[in-house]
Amino acid sequence: MTRDPIGLALSAMNRLAGAPWLDRFGLRNTVERAAYHGTRSGFKTLSVANREFKRVKDLLPRQKLPNRAPKDLFDLNLDEDQQLIVDSLKRLAMDALRPAAAKADEEGVMPEDVRAAAAELGLALYAVPEAFGGVAEHLSPVTSVLIAEQLAWGDMGLATALLAPFSVAQAITQWGTAEQQNRYLPAFCEEQPPVATIAIDEPHPLFDPDKLQTTATRTEHGYTLSGAKNGVVLAAEADLFLIAANLRGEGPRIFIVERGTAGLSCGAEPTMGLRPAQLARLQLDNVHVGADALLGGDDFDYQSFIDRGALLRCGLALGSAQAVLDYVIPYCNDREAFGEPISHRQSVAFMISNMAIEIDAMRMLTWRAASRAEAGLSFHREACLAKLLCNEKAAEVGTNGVQLLGGHGFVKEHPVERWYRDLRSVATQFGGTHA
Amino acid sequence: MKVLVAVKRVIDYNVKVRVKPDNSGVDLANVKMAMNPFCEIAVEEAVRLKEKGVATEIVVVSIGPKACQEQIRTALALGADRGIHIETDAEVQSLEAAKLLKAVVDKEEPKLVILGKQSIDTDNNQTGQMLAALAGMGQGTFASEVVVDGDKVNVTREVDGGLMTVALNLPAVVTTDLRLNEPRYASLPNIMKAKKKPLDTTTPADLGVDVAVRLTTLKVEAPATRQAGIKVADVAELVDKLKNEAKVI
Repeated sequence: MTRDPIGLALSAMNRLAGAPWLDRFGLRNTVERAAYHGTRSGFKTLSVANREFKRVKDLLPRQKLPNRAPKDLFDLNLDEDQQLIVDSLKRLAMDALRPAAAKADEEGVMPEDVRAAAAELGLALYAVPEAFGGVAEHLSPVTSVLIAEQLAWGDMGLATALLAPFSVAQAITQWGTAEQQNRYLPAFCEEQPPVATIAIDEPHPLFDPDKLQTTATRTEHGYTLSGAKNGVVLAAEADLFLIAANLRGEGPRIFIVERGTAGLSCGAEPTMGLRPAQLARLQLDNVHVGADALLGGDDFDYQSFIDRGALLRCGLALGSAQAVLDYVIPYCNDREAFGEPISHRQSVAFMISNMAIEIDAMRMLTWRAASRAEAGLSFHREACLAKLLCNEKAAEVGTNGVQLLGGHGFVKEHPVERWYRDLRSVATQFGGTHA
Repeated sequence: MKVLVAVKRVIDYNVKVRVKPDNSGVDLANVKMAMNPFCEIAVEEAVRLKEKGVATEIVVVSIGPKACQEQIRTALALGADRGIHIETDAEVQSLEAAKLLKAVVDKEEPKLVILGKQSIDTDNNQTGQMLAALAGMGQGTFASEVVVDGDKVNVTREVDGGLMTVALNLPAVVTTDLRLNEPRYASLPNIMKAKKKPLDTTTPADLGVDVAVRLTTLKVEAPATRQAGIKVADVAELVDKLKNEAKVI
């Protein structure tokens, strides 16, 4: 296989950045900066992780969370746990995410104290079965959607960053082999859980998660991955990646790749919204991984993996859209024009009621898909419906939110412009509308 | 040391309450309910005492309809060990609540009872005091600091002129003020664990307490809405109005 010049340069720099003598002479930072600025496209090699995921000898058996018994046909009441979780997360959103959101957006960083607050709340533990130190008792797509909504009500960018490791832990819990679960899951229950992320999207037109251009080839010792990914949440700091690739002859699969694996590099890709999530490109240049890097065995369900992700993003869209609605209602009741609150004008009142209707519709479709997933029923069709509606309406709620505030909608004094930018991600990122 | 904490289910403090059209009370239909904020502070204080190694067991009790169990679960998720639900659909007033709590105190024999100083729905501020009197315990009300010292508890109270510290022999009753602590929120693992903690249900009849209503509410009215203001043309008119209409200068 011929390599382009950048590929060659990256591979040379990967070798350089991986050299142990850099640490000895205290040169690592200098070299990494050089590597980052040294390529035309600004790709940087990912240094060896500080965190080591140890192979475990005495394996606990593979844990498989049971489905929940289906509830009544359409029971929308939250159960006691769900209500407590929603209440707790709402407070986290209000006390930790909201105050940090504006600065995190401006600087495009994920604040450590927000991460610490989420860790203290035990967010990742909810994705891990009890045997590995977590608290998960059964599959919980509905609760996951509720969690996503509450966090995104605080701030969608911060929520996206917080949920990336959560999703990785959930995927390893649901499909990982005993070896993979033993190796990775306990780390998520530590005081400082690893930063983990999922890479599916690819930077080419008409991206389709079923037709991946990133390839995986079986080798004697494992697999070789090659290709490019974009829109990867927290790529620059992640310790662990779940990367989707087309396994030759077998179709799309997910591979577990640790930070520092040779050939893996990342390039910044500043975005309009979701700035704290620091979406970035990922370059895979003949990345060699072991045979145990293939997530799951024969029961791995790629479609379900993709759909679960889509539902979580519906939850995120819902939270941010709800935040807009909760903001514009008091604003339009207080803001006066022509001697009365602007909410007395039908053009304003109708716009707000339409928002409320659309958001509830988004929520119903999302919950329905999630509750089917939770009961172990097919949910691909329902997830697609939810995703399409959320794609369309999330952006609409954002743009109408800005419009209702008029001049105030455009300035940074009010958070609605930020929510608008975040909500634009729903239909454009993570597969967008066509995937 | 066993600590008993009483919690009450009230309308969530974020909800704007509405009076029923017939003025018989506050409309509770489809309104979000939550734990009384002062009770949350009481639970938090008990949990902190346990974390310091002072308290060994935290028992949380609530009186009211079945739905009160939500608030007991919340307290369990915050760190309480065990719940007691005194189930009744009847209206329970302060004295009856104090009598029911007295019955629980007799059974459980806690060293310390912590309550909120008042509930934000009826604002009576008397259950803690009544309980202390009925149980023959010392009381430290409006606590802004609680320090257990051997078989005594020092309670710093927020009073009009400043702070007053009282030393009480245990067992004692403490009611919490706003500045005692800042309650944590329940972590996800604790929420999951709360489900497995024991919750016993009993009734006023089991405890031998008559909860018949002694006070009747005559009328509940919303506060008068503020009248719209007026604009004055100039300072002279303002001074004139203040002098002759408002008669304040």
